[in-house]
Amino acid sequence: MTSSSTSSRKNLSKIACNRLQKELTEWQASPPAGFNYKVSDNLQRWVIEVVGAPGTLYANETYRLQVDFPEHYPMEAPQVIFMNPAPMHPHIYSNGHICLDILYDSWSPAMTVSSVCISILSMLSSSTVKQRPEDNDRYVKNCRNGRSPKETRWWFHDDKV
Amino acid sequence: MDSEDDMHDANDLDSLDDDFYSGETEDAPMDYYTDYDDDADDYFDDGDDSDPADSRRPEQNFTILKESDIRQRQEDDISRVAAVLSIPRVAASILLRHYNWSVSKVNDAWFADEEQVRKTVGLLEKKVYENPDANELTCGICFEVYPPSKIQTASCGHPYCFSCWGGYIGTSINDGPGCLMLRCPDPSCGAAVDQDMINLLVSAEDKEKYDRYLLRSYIEDNKKTKWCPAPGCEHAVNFDAGSGSYDVSCLCSYSFCWNCTEEAHRPVDCGTVSKWILKNSAESENMNWILANSKPCPKCKRPIEKNQGCMHMTCTPPCKFEFCWLCLGAWTDHGERTGGFYACNRYEAAKQEGVYDETEKRREMAKNSLERYTHYYERWASNQSSRQKALADLHQMQTINIEKLSDTQCQPESQLKFITEAWLQIVECRRVLKWTYAYGFYLAEHEQGKKQFFEYLQGEAESGLERLHQCAEKELQVFLNGDGPSKDFNDFRTKLAGLTSVTRNYFENLVRALENGLCDVDSNGAASSKATGSKNAAGSSKGRGGRGKGTIRASMSSRITDDNHWSCEQCTYANVRSATACQMCNQPRR
Ligand SMILES: [Zn+2]
Ligand SMILES: [Zn+2]
Ligand SMILES: [Zn+2]
Ligand SMILES: [Zn+2]
Ligand SMILES: [Zn+2]
Ligand SMILES: [Zn+2]
Ligand SMILES: [Zn+2]
Repeated sequence: MTSSSTSSRKNLSKIACNRLQKELTEWQASPPAGFNYKVSDNLQRWVIEVVGAPGTLYANETYRLQVDFPEHYPMEAPQVIFMNPAPMHPHIYSNGHICLDILYDSWSPAMTVSSVCISILSMLSSSTVKQRPEDNDRYVKNCRNGRSPKETRWWFHDDKV
Repeated sequence: MDSEDDMHDANDLDSLDDDFYSGETEDAPMDYYTDYDDDADDYFDDGDDSDPADSRRPEQNFTILKESDIRQRQEDDISRVAAVLSIPRVAASILLRHYNWSVSKVNDAWFADEEQVRKTVGLLEKKVYENPDANELTCGICFEVYPPSKIQTASCGHPYCFSCWGGYIGTSINDGPGCLMLRCPDPSCGAAVDQDMINLLVSAEDKEKYDRYLLRSYIEDNKKTKWCPAPGCEHAVNFDAGSGSYDVSCLCSYSFCWNCTEEAHRPVDCGTVSKWILKNSAESENMNWILANSKPCPKCKRPIEKNQGCMHMTCTPPCKFEFCWLCLGAWTDHGERTGGFYACNRYEAAKQEGVYDETEKRREMAKNSLERYTHYYERWASNQSSRQKALADLHQMQTINIEKLSDTQCQPESQLKFITEAWLQIVECRRVLKWTYAYGFYLAEHEQGKKQFFEYLQGEAESGLERLHQCAEKELQVFLNGDGPSKDFNDFRTKLAGLTSVTRNYFENLVRALENGLCDVDSNGAASSKATGSKNAAGSSKGRGGRGKGTIRASMSSRITDDNHWSCEQCTYANVRSATACQMCNQPRR
């Protein structure tokens, strides 16, 4: 499976730790619907379960998101990928990389893990067809050396889906 | 000094050339070169008879901006918009940035639909977010609670603490010029973050970077301005489209094309330049050997290093063979006072005249196409390196030699400006000449007449420039090395200044003729009626048809190049008015 562990990571800054602690507390008080995070002692990597929303192509299917936080979170975006197997979706590559602008160029430090999760679920829910992006094979091949999706120059697919 | 006739006998030229080279008729080809002020205009058809100085220097359609000028203009534009729209300067700056620094576009958009414009650029008139508790505010990034004094907001009201703003803006500034369009961190909010906030919240270093981006944006996002592409140059150019050429020359002395930002390339157009550059990179491996600076002496075969700017090479003693760097032919075959036709610029695939079967022909053509390219490329590159050398020489003149010369010749430096001018002219001519080889390469093969005419003009240009270059390079040396004032120095001044002006005129006419696509010549090489109808028809009729260049033979008579000089019809030397025979070659004045 794809792993982001190859990308060298520095420990979270104090600001990042404080902020994540607050997010965690908030998450435990009211997790976003459809998501389940079993708290581990690793604050820097969250593995979150997501269940497809009822009435959508992914209803009752369960996937896992891996969220890695950089040293300067939230000034820098977290790295978010689907763990294997990634859902079949026109904006999700078979290696789990997600083509979603808020994870890259449009990231804002006012966003949270929770708001990112909600965006990803909404992206899944609005899909009308279960298929891989057209350039899946080429893209996945280019990522073989464990390249992070944050190093990709994303050309965002239309943002309706 | 050898007479023309002696030279002819020695060279045993064939009849055509004999006719052409003939020095005693009104047909001497040099005359064409000499006649710039008069007949040359006829041939070059510049369409008006006004003072050449006017047509030579059209109104400058560009302005060079130093950093202080750029800042001043930017400030002025911001002030203008702020005043007209009655908004703060920082808001005016955001608007201008959004509309690529066009004051008129800002005004138009604003007065058409102010509300829409405000929304698009993020200049909100009232807050969209009110804090539920005015005494305790939660920062939207770190989620810590602060008193109002520790919180900043953009026009929208979304609260963030100083440190989070600092991190947010700093990250954006270090990400690149996108920071100029920075918005509130709230994903649903488009409120602009203006420069006042930035100055309040970030480090001095980041402020400086932001300021740099703002300055750069004023040049880079504005359609009328560009940075000078010369390495290390920090000036910009403001260009007013309209009439005139794209050539722009910066205060740093670099000339470039406004349109394609390549080095100035008149008389060829931007398309030809990019084709040529592409061609060069495709062929670069084949061409590497050509750039080598050493060639064997055509006579003694010892390697000769080219270390001077002009193409006239002299092998080291005892050989002392004088030859042309470009064609490796004997220099005596080339012109100067032999009255010869400078022909090494021409590419003649003589073999094509033979009869070949189809495959042989094709093989021959493939070979020829590389040879043909090689021919033009080598000449293009030689002129390029000659130009570099001339630039270095010019610098040497300005920094060292002029002063030295001023000492040895007891001349005030102001009296030595003609030397700098000569070198500036050489640099410019090398540039033009260089591009004529790209021009020649793309000149359609089937337009034989044009091609021949072009090659004649180019050959004359090449030889005229050689004459100037040689005079400025080698003849000057004598005076530089001298122990004291030389009585010949004034003659040298007259000669070099004369050659400079004569060469300038010729090249200016050449550039215009090539830019006009040599429209005076039809593809058969017949002369246009214009030349035939010139006032010197008697002379021009004689040599017609020689090599398709009959038209450019002008009539002979000594021309007054300016009020104080007349130009020798034989060697072009600009003689003082009082001289009755050429001081250089003794040719009587006619
Ligand atoms: Zn904060
Ligand atoms: Zn806001
Ligand atoms: Zn410059
Ligand atoms: Zn150009
Ligand atoms: Zn030799
Ligand atoms: Zn030659
Ligand atoms: Zn003479």
